[in-house]
Amino acid sequence: MTHSLHREGTPGSLDKDYVVFIYPARGYNYKGCAPKVRRLVEIVYEVGPANMIATTLRKNLYSGVEPDEVLDSIEEGCRVFTVFNSREKLRELLTAFKEADEGISIVVSGLIEKVREVAAGVGLNPHTINLSLGIHGGTEGLPPLEIRQFTTMCGHAMISPHLVEDVIRRVKAGKLDTWNGSITLAKPCACGIYNPYRSMEMLEDLSSLYTVSRW
Amino acid sequence: MIVFKDVCVGCGRCQPYCPAGAIHFDDYRSTVDQELCFECGTCLRSEICPVDAIQEPANVYEYPRALRKYFSDPTSTHAVTGIQGRGTEESKTNDVTLRCGLDQVGIAIEIGRPTLGMGLEEIQKITRVLARNGIHEIEPNNPINSMILDHQSGDLKPELLDERVLSAIIEMSIDKERLPDILRAIKEVIPELDSVFTLDVVTMLEPGLTVPPDVLSSIEAEGFSWRPNAKINMGLGKVTE
Repeated sequence: MTHSLHREGTPGSLDKDYVVFIYPARGYNYKGCAPKVRRLVEIVYEVGPANMIATTLRKNLYSGVEPDEVLDSIEEGCRVFTVFNSREKLRELLTAFKEADEGISIVVSGLIEKVREVAAGVGLNPHTINLSLGIHGGTEGLPPLEIRQFTTMCGHAMISPHLVEDVIRRVKAGKLDTWNGSITLAKPCACGIYNPYRSMEMLEDLSSLYTVSRW
Repeated sequence: MIVFKDVCVGCGRCQPYCPAGAIHFDDYRSTVDQELCFECGTCLRSEICPVDAIQEPANVYEYPRALRKYFSDPTSTHAVTGIQGRGTEESKTNDVTLRCGLDQVGIAIEIGRPTLGMGLEEIQKITRVLARNGIHEIEPNNPINSMILDHQSGDLKPELLDERVLSAIIEMSIDKERLPDILRAIKEVIPELDSVFTLDVVTMLEPGLTVPPDVLSSIEAEGFSWRPNAKINMGLGKVTE
């Protein structure tokens, strides 16, 4: 999950992409955390996530899983990874989390400046930051930024750049629409933080002029 | 992973799903290059094969190949850490654990990401440079710690060096004043690497989501910069045990 802070894209696009983690800590608030995590997940559903996974089930929002199945799977130590496609939803979520006061660590991955504004508005005092100092080393071997803005939306690099190219090609050929192309890309993401709404907009931007060669 | 040739119908639908680019046609059937495969399981989990020809091989949990799975498949539980994933809880629970205290910074060097993956020798290049610079504080609960043969030299266990994984994270917490030393050591290794790494710096915040100025000035002084997005612990955790 470390990689959520390395999501790439324009600031405008990243402002529609806020990852949230619900994270009980072993030895600190692990025992008896299940009903607290469950209440926080109920709030996530009320606000409306773009994607989500509970580590006790590992089925993302587009797998056909029902909310009750996710909620019933939650047991001690369950962590939840989710993503929201607007700052307004992030604000709504954090307001409800603050009011619920369940005492479980909450982490937001997103634009620092915007999270600062939201936190101030909600009355939260963020505790720790994990800054990204970028990518280094043999960067010449990387796929282009246009492809990486899709692949870096999975916290574990499960979305292959070849699949992104394949989807772009199928969208350009009219064999797949941008929403279903995004769901195709979301499916391999086992951490549930691939944002198909942002992905759909990126596919729309790329599909007219961006070209890919057969890999 | 393996594709059973007798079952495969040669549609090729699995091939773009592979993050390693390890699946290709051989005699009109898909086959997995075992050298390139990270054992991440993406091809299987995607349920894309119309005839269920993709399976996990029996040797996937045999040492040292098992490291491929532990470091590359987020649904597998690492035999060393007992948790899913390649790292620890790092900054995510720092509001309750205080693992990275006021006078400290956390460093995470995530090798192989984004996208490229790496041979484990890439980790050794970094652990050697860190050791050469007197930096030995790799997080004890991080799985990389158990792969190091000699902490003084930074050498990994030699039987591991031919394995490939999607990524691994070197994590450590150090006194703030040593941040420039670490960043200088990291700069030293950059030209030696065949793969890539992403670099993280973790610090406790001042009021108003203000990053401590001394941390930012250390980063800038060593020629690094920080991206506009970050991972932020919102301070809502409480200790109840």
